[in-house]
Amino acid sequence: MTVQAQVVDTSTASAPNRRDALVIVLILLVGTALMVLGSLGTQAGARSAFTDQVLGTLFSLPSQATLYTIGAFCFLVAGLRLFRALDSIRSVLNWSLVFMAAFAFLVWITSGTSMNLPGMIQSTLMAATPLTLGAMAGIFCERSGIINIAIEGMMLSGAFAAVAFASLFDSLWMGLLAASLMGGMMAALHAVLSVKYKVDQIISGTVINMLAAGGTRFLNLRLLEPAGLSTPGSFDLIRIPLLADIPIVGPIFFENQPTVYLMFILLVLANFVIFATPWGLRMRASGEHPGAADTVGVHVNRMRYVSVIIGGLIAGIGGAYFSLGIVGTFEDGMTRGQGFVALAAMIFGNWNPIGAFLAALLFGFADALQVKMQILQPVLPIINQPIPHEFLQMAPYILTIIVVAGVVGRAIAPAAEGKPYEKQ
Amino acid sequence: MLVVLVALISKWLVLVLLVALGLWPLTLLLALGVLALISTRRGGWPWMKDWLGTRLRGLVLPALAVVTALIIGALVIMFTDQMVYQALSEGRFGEAIALAFGSLARAYGALYEGSLGNPLKILQAIGLALSGEGLQPVLSAVRGPSDSLVQSVPYIFAGLAVALGFRAGLFNIGAEGQIGVGWLAAVVVGFAFPGLPTVIHLPLAIVAGAVAAGLWAAIAGVLKARTGAHEVITTIMLNYVVFRLSEWLLCGPLEFTQGTCRTQDIAESAYLPRFLGHPVTLHWGFVLALIVAALTGWFLFRTTWGFWLRTVGANPNAARYGGMSVGKAFTLAMFLSGCLAGLAGVVQGLGITRNIALGFQAGYGFDSIALALLGKSHPAGVLAASLLFGVLRAGAGRMQSVAGVPTEIVQIVQALVIIFVAAPEIIRVIYHLRKARAEGVEVTVFSRGWGA
Repeated sequence: MTVQAQVVDTSTASAPNRRDALVIVLILLVGTALMVLGSLGTQAGARSAFTDQVLGTLFSLPSQATLYTIGAFCFLVAGLRLFRALDSIRSVLNWSLVFMAAFAFLVWITSGTSMNLPGMIQSTLMAATPLTLGAMAGIFCERSGIINIAIEGMMLSGAFAAVAFASLFDSLWMGLLAASLMGGMMAALHAVLSVKYKVDQIISGTVINMLAAGGTRFLNLRLLEPAGLSTPGSFDLIRIPLLADIPIVGPIFFENQPTVYLMFILLVLANFVIFATPWGLRMRASGEHPGAADTVGVHVNRMRYVSVIIGGLIAGIGGAYFSLGIVGTFEDGMTRGQGFVALAAMIFGNWNPIGAFLAALLFGFADALQVKMQILQPVLPIINQPIPHEFLQMAPYILTIIVVAGVVGRAIAPAAEGKPYEKQ
Repeated sequence: MLVVLVALISKWLVLVLLVALGLWPLTLLLALGVLALISTRRGGWPWMKDWLGTRLRGLVLPALAVVTALIIGALVIMFTDQMVYQALSEGRFGEAIALAFGSLARAYGALYEGSLGNPLKILQAIGLALSGEGLQPVLSAVRGPSDSLVQSVPYIFAGLAVALGFRAGLFNIGAEGQIGVGWLAAVVVGFAFPGLPTVIHLPLAIVAGAVAAGLWAAIAGVLKARTGAHEVITTIMLNYVVFRLSEWLLCGPLEFTQGTCRTQDIAESAYLPRFLGHPVTLHWGFVLALIVAALTGWFLFRTTWGFWLRTVGANPNAARYGGMSVGKAFTLAMFLSGCLAGLAGVVQGLGITRNIALGFQAGYGFDSIALALLGKSHPAGVLAASLLFGVLRAGAGRMQSVAGVPTEIVQIVQALVIIFVAAPEIIRVIYHLRKARAEGVEVTVFSRGWGA
C-alpha cells in the first residue's frame, strides 16, 4: 500500500511543470484556432445574429471581432497560468474559458446567419438532463467506494420499465416511478455482487450492462410488442405559471419535461446531501477511507448498499427521460451510449454534482451543436471541408480521455474505490 | 501442387471434424473407448479415474455455472410466453404448464439443431453419401456445427485479447472498438490493392488489421504507463471514438454506393478461403485462431516477455522492485491485446462479410470479457469457452426463427454465466459444494480505482 502511494506521489510531484506547460500550449492552440477561424473562416463584416422566437433579434455580434476577443481571452488565461497569477480562481477561469470557447464556436457557425439562441440553450439543457442524472447516479455510487460503469445499463433498464409500466397502468407517472425502481433494482444487483460477493466491480458493471441490453431487447420483442404495451406516449411539457412568461428565461427553464425539473431538484438535493449532511460525510468517508470510517462506527458496507441503490434510483429516472421524455416508446439500445457519456461527465466534473452538471451542459452543447451543424454545414478554413458532425459527437469521449490522463485539470477519484471492504 | 494437396487434406479433415462435432455423443464414446484402451496398459480403471479426475476437477464450477445459467434462461423463456399467460388467465393451469414446457422444448431444440445439427439427418446424409449421392447432403447436414465454429472464431481472438490483458493486470474493455479498427483496416487493405497475389495480399491484410487495432489499443497502454489514466475509462471512451469515426468513414469517405453505409467488397486475393462449399462457411480463420491461441499460450508461459507481463500483472510493485519496467509492460500488453482483438475483426471482414458496414458491432468484444473469465485467462480455457459461446450464438438465430424466442436470451445467459463464474460462492451455495482446498485460483483485482 504505502509503496504504491509513494510511487504515485513522486511521479505526480515531478509532473506539474510539464503538465502546466502542456495545458498552456493547449490553451494557446485553442486561442490560435479561434483567431484563424476569425480571420479566414468568416467574412469581414459578417455578423452573427442571435434571435428569439418572441422577441426577434436579441443581439447581433460582429463575428470576426468576437472571435478575436475570445481568442485574446485564451491568450490572457494562458499568460495568467504561465505566471501563476490568479490561481485562487483557477477553476472559475477554466470553466469560463471552456464556455467562452464553446460560445466562440457558436458565433463562428452562425456568422452571416442567425440562430435561435434560447432554442439552442434549451436543446443543450435537454441533452444535458439524462447526462446529469446518470452522472449523479455515478457520483452516489463512486463516492461510497463502488465503481459504476453500469450507468448505461441502469438507464436502459429504466427506459424499458418506464414504457412497460406506463402502458400497463396507463399512467406516465407510474412509468417514471417504475423506471426509478428498475434502476434501483439493477443497482441492488450491482451492490450485492460487489459488496457481498466481492466480485470485481468492473466485471459486475459489465454484467449489468449486458443484462440490461439483452434483457430489455428480449422482453420488448417477446412481451411488450406482442401485448401492444409499447406506446404509452410521452410527457407533455409542464408550464410553470407566471415564471414561464418571463421572456427568454421562461421558455428555457420553466417550460420543460418533468424529468428536467426532477433533475434540477435532485441536483440541489444531491449536492446538499453529499456535502452538507452527516450522512453525506459518512458516505464519502466510506469511499475515501473505509477503515477509518468503520472505526468511528460507520457501517461501511451498509452505506455502500444504500448509496449504490440511491444512484440506481436516479439513473432510472435518467432512463425514463429517453423513453417517456422524447419518443414515447422503447427502442433497442435507446440510451445510445449516453450512460458512458454520463460516466465521462462524472469524471470531468470531478465526482461533484455541480461539476458534473457543468460537464453535462458542455457535452449536451456538443450534442445540440452537432444537430445544428448538420443543417448549417459550416466550412472549415484552410482545408475547405465541412466538419463531420460525428467529430463533435466524439468530443465528450476525447475530452474525458484528456482529463483522466491528467493533461488538463486532474481527476481525483475517491481513494478506496474499487476495493471491497472487509471488516478487520 | 502443395496448395492443392493442403486444400484436399484440410477439406476432408474439416468434414470429419464437423461430423464428429454433430455426432458428439458418439465422438465422446469413442474418445472414452480409446482412453479405456490406453488404461488397460497403464493400470486399468483406477488410472483412468485418476486421469479424468485431475482433468475434470477444475471444470466443475464453470460447468455448473453454465448449466445454472441455461436453467435460468429456460425459466425466462417459459415465463415470457404469451400463450402461457393466455392459458393462465383462463384458468387452465395444466395446459399452461404443458405449454411452457413445449415452448422451452421448441426453443432449446432449435438452439441445439441450429448449433450442433440434427444427428439423425447427419447419419442419413452420410448414408446417402456412401451410396454415391455426393457430398451435398452431408454439407447441408453439418451446417450447424460449421456455424458454431464460425461464430467461435472471433470469440477466440477477442477472448484471448481480454485474457492476455488480464494476465498483465489490465482490463481491456475496448475489444469491441479494437475489433472495429482491425476489421476496417483489413477491409481497406483488402480492396485497396486489387492486383496483388494472394500470398502477399492476404497476410498483408491480416497483419494490417492486427497492427492497426494494436496501435489503437496501445493508446490506452501508453496513457496508463505515462499518466496512470485507468485503462477501463480510456478504452471505453476509445470504443465510442471508434464507433463515431466508423460512422463517419462508412457513410462518408469509404462509402461505395450512395446510401448503403458500406465499403466496397475486398478483392478476391484477400479472401480467407473457405474449406468447403455452400452452406458450410467455415474458413481458414479457424485454423489461424487455433495457431494464435497456441502462440499466445507459448508467449505467456514460455517466454521471458510473457513472464514479465505476468509478473507485472500479479504485482506491479514487486515487478518494479525487481527492476522490470511496468510502464513498458502495460504498453506492450495493450498493444498485443489490441492485435488479438483486431484479428477478431479481421476474420469477420476477410472470411465472412468481405466488407464492413454500419452497425458492424456484434457484441463479440463485450462477450469476450465473459470468455476470459470463464476460461480463467488461460488460452486453452478461452478456446473451450469460445466454442461454447459460438454454439450458443449459432443456435440463437435458428431459435428465433423457429421458436420465436429472441436471440438476446443468449446474451442474458452469458451475463448469468459471468455472474456465476465471478461469484462462485453463489454456485457453491446452490449445489452445496465444499470450498476447494487449493484450487489455485488467481484472484487479480483489476479495479484499483480510477486513480491517476
